[in-house]
Amino acid sequence: MKKKKFLKTATPYFFILPWIIGFLVFTFGPLLLSLIMSFFDWPLTGEKVFVGLGNYIEMFTQDDQVLKSLGISLRYAAIFVPLNLILALFLAMLITQPLRGVKVYRAIFYIPAAISSVAISIIWSWILNSDYGVLNYLLSLIGIEGPDWLVDPAWAIFAVILASAFGVGTMMLIFYTDMKNISTEIYEAASIDGAGPARKFFSITLPIITPTLLFNLITSIISSFQQVTLVMLLTGGGPLQSTYFYGLMTYNNAFKHHKMGYASANAWVMFIIILLLTALVFKSSSAWVFYESEVKADNKKKKRGGK
Amino acid sequence: MKRKLAVVCIMMLSATTILSGCGGSSDDSSSGGKTKIRFATWDVAEDVDKQQELVDKFNEEHDDIEVTLEAYGSDFDTKISAGMGSGDTPDVMYMWNYPAYYDGLEPLDDYIAEEGDEYKSNFYNTLWDYNMMDGSTYGIPVGFTTHCLFYNKDIFDEAGVEYPTADWTWDDLQAAAKTISEKTDAKGFSFQMKPDPYDFEMYLWSNGTSYCDENGEMDGYINSEESQEVFQMFQDMEKDEYATSTEGDGTDEFRAGSTAMYVYGSWAINTLNEDGVNYGVTTIPAFADAGQDSVSILSSSGLSMSKDSEHKDAAWEFIKYWTNEECNKARIGTELPVLNTVVESEGIMEQEEYAPFYTMLEQSQGHTPASFLIDSWSEVAENLQLSFEQIFNPSSLQPVDKALESAVQ
Amino acid sequence: MKMSKKSKVVLYILLTIVAVYFLAPFLYMLLTTFKTEGEAIAYPPSLFPKEWHFENYSEAWASQPFGTYFLNSVIVTVMTTLGTVLSSSLVAYGFARFKFKGKNILFMILLATMMIPWDVTMIPQYMEFNLFGWINTLLPLIVPTWFGSAYNIFLMRQFLMGIPKDYEEAARLDGANSFQIYWKIFMPILKPCLIMVGVLNMLTVWNDYLGPLIFLQDRTKYTLALGLASFKGVHTTAIIPMLCITVVMIIPPILVFIFAQKYIVEGTSGSIK
Repeated sequence: MKKKKFLKTATPYFFILPWIIGFLVFTFGPLLLSLIMSFFDWPLTGEKVFVGLGNYIEMFTQDDQVLKSLGISLRYAAIFVPLNLILALFLAMLITQPLRGVKVYRAIFYIPAAISSVAISIIWSWILNSDYGVLNYLLSLIGIEGPDWLVDPAWAIFAVILASAFGVGTMMLIFYTDMKNISTEIYEAASIDGAGPARKFFSITLPIITPTLLFNLITSIISSFQQVTLVMLLTGGGPLQSTYFYGLMTYNNAFKHHKMGYASANAWVMFIIILLLTALVFKSSSAWVFYESEVKADNKKKKRGGK
Repeated sequence: MKRKLAVVCIMMLSATTILSGCGGSSDDSSSGGKTKIRFATWDVAEDVDKQQELVDKFNEEHDDIEVTLEAYGSDFDTKISAGMGSGDTPDVMYMWNYPAYYDGLEPLDDYIAEEGDEYKSNFYNTLWDYNMMDGSTYGIPVGFTTHCLFYNKDIFDEAGVEYPTADWTWDDLQAAAKTISEKTDAKGFSFQMKPDPYDFEMYLWSNGTSYCDENGEMDGYINSEESQEVFQMFQDMEKDEYATSTEGDGTDEFRAGSTAMYVYGSWAINTLNEDGVNYGVTTIPAFADAGQDSVSILSSSGLSMSKDSEHKDAAWEFIKYWTNEECNKARIGTELPVLNTVVESEGIMEQEEYAPFYTMLEQSQGHTPASFLIDSWSEVAENLQLSFEQIFNPSSLQPVDKALESAVQ
Repeated sequence: MKMSKKSKVVLYILLTIVAVYFLAPFLYMLLTTFKTEGEAIAYPPSLFPKEWHFENYSEAWASQPFGTYFLNSVIVTVMTTLGTVLSSSLVAYGFARFKFKGKNILFMILLATMMIPWDVTMIPQYMEFNLFGWINTLLPLIVPTWFGSAYNIFLMRQFLMGIPKDYEEAARLDGANSFQIYWKIFMPILKPCLIMVGVLNMLTVWNDYLGPLIFLQDRTKYTLALGLASFKGVHTTAIIPMLCITVVMIIPPILVFIFAQKYIVEGTSGSIK
């Protein structure tokens, strides 16, 4: 009897055991060391000096760039996250439509996500180059003088957004998979009730996919703060540091200026910010995310179609 | 009850062990009696193939040493940083940024002394200064480039302007650039909108000043009158629209024929030859009032040894090989040779696309780049670069004095 | 479901507009791969190459040992995809379908591991793998994925939480144990999701170049993405070969996607919501 009870309590831990082992072996050590590093003046080689909270204090009292870069990253996230979510949802809706040839469109929408970021940044820097880029050339053919995308600080962040929206295929695929799980019967029933496409979307599709919406929201918040590769290759943080993202600043502190301790402090501050944002989203999610597995038995039938 | 779960766990564990089994053995640094040397380069594509051939040759000649080539391209710095930070640096590596890395490198003066005076004096003397830090030598010169003026002969012909010569001043260049911009579709001259501060100091040197004094103090130097003159001249050329500032290094614009002149290192030669551009190279124009020849920055590459290398003698053996005459010759086309004897025997000075780079080298003795003088140069450079961009970016074109004043702070 | 002709037309127009945005840069790149480098940077830009240089591809492929890279990429991609799908689904199941002590804390830790940027954990991680003797092997890229990845666990948990409770309740009444329920009931239901995770993971790993850059050293161990990045030099970039390899590298993920599409769609027949 006792054994059975033990098994019952232990079962969930068995399932998550692989992750716990992996976390302890591969993640926890490096994570802890980077936290320790953040309290040191830690050059690449040579003497490491303990500075206590020195790095953190320096960040907010002496280094103007920290707040500037934080502002840039926040602004980017504020535009990129909703835009990307809406675009991904919209595309997922489009490719779930029962149309002829929709398979081809699905593959087309997915292609950009399959291109490596190194190549993406090269292609876009060609397209957007103000002197000989193809985009401004095309615009000039129809009589519009295109902006200096990568030279004018006012436009550069849009250039980055334009290029990063290219990877929307991943999120689209996640939404799409989720939508494909919704049984057609619900929609048919709604059609009989006279619901239009907008109604169907807002009262059927959207509520059902809220779990994946939460996932995409959180992961795109994280990725927009960690955006490094694309900016590094496309704008290098310029023009006039207008796209000097926080992630790029951290990277430069680590690998250009070789201030590993300071970079670790940068990273941990960013970590706290993302963590707080995520916690906020999670807290709010109980109000808007709808999990079937948490539905009480009696009203289950009403909300759920299919089997 | 948990049998299947256990099976899966065992499968995963055994997969891990098997995998780690295949990996574990490759760590030995001396297997089969051979000393293994890791050699890191920043070269790419075909240049790596050439290097591999030279490495293979070394390995054939040495029964006891085996060198493996590691090519990291533009990510060289990230990789070397990661290696040094975790105490696993390649034994031998290409190096140029000594101020940033010398802490992790082995001083080579004793090794050099053992080879005798003749060994050392065969290298161009100026190059040694660029491979030193705090009085110790950390690298053996393998290659270098100075900067020169590239010009497109076809565009000059079209505009009916005489080709640039070694005795040109910036006034001559400006006059030519104006005519070219008026008479052809191309801009007369181009320079980088966001120049690397390390490179740009050469213009200040040419006009009799520098970024800082020998203690690294910038005030009174970078914001001096001579310095302002330099920045003002470039900005004026841009404002008057016979020069343009480029987003990249300017090579693409020059190749495409949209600019007639630009200043750059020997890196462009191969590309321009492959494209079949009808171009010429000459020394950088001088400042008329400076009363001296123009000066160029040196981008030098050296070969360094890791401080932590466990096989320093073997590493030195390889460094000697890589910097000898034979390898200098073999790498012509990738790098400008650094040995006097090779430059002579290969008739480099008779080749008109190479010779100006050596003339610039001779004209450029006795200057120490600010990167060797200013502590935490990489951060200072980032600030300077922003100030320079404020001056040259067409959407800001800030007044020179103001931008340079903020650079000092 | 039936659709009016008008809404069909509207949909096609929408689809085509988006397709142009996504496809145009790609096609531009594709056409560029057949040009000479001089032509590629010429202004005004040309759309079609003057001459079609098909040999650009064979030259690009021959310029580095891409056969070896390809093999390495395939090994890493297949091994990690297998590993992460199996292990992440186990862990996700644990988090989604059970109540246990410390669950919320553990889950927050799981999420938190996604939020630390790699720049600062990379050097400690390098030291650790160096200690294991795994540097310059494919192991640092493969082994950790066998212990679940936070991203995939979170994603699958979201899907699992969307499945009503009565599924396992019925099975439990029949006397099935938790592992049987996971394997016999949830894995089949999750099939579209598992395939999607596999497809996404494959894409990430296939294109990842920071991991290989840091942990691999000589060219016999390189992956395709790393070979691609090494066309980019400090002063010059071999742009045409780079784009050629990019195009070649897109083919396998697209093929896999087209193949997997079928299985993701099949989810409809067993729709669970």
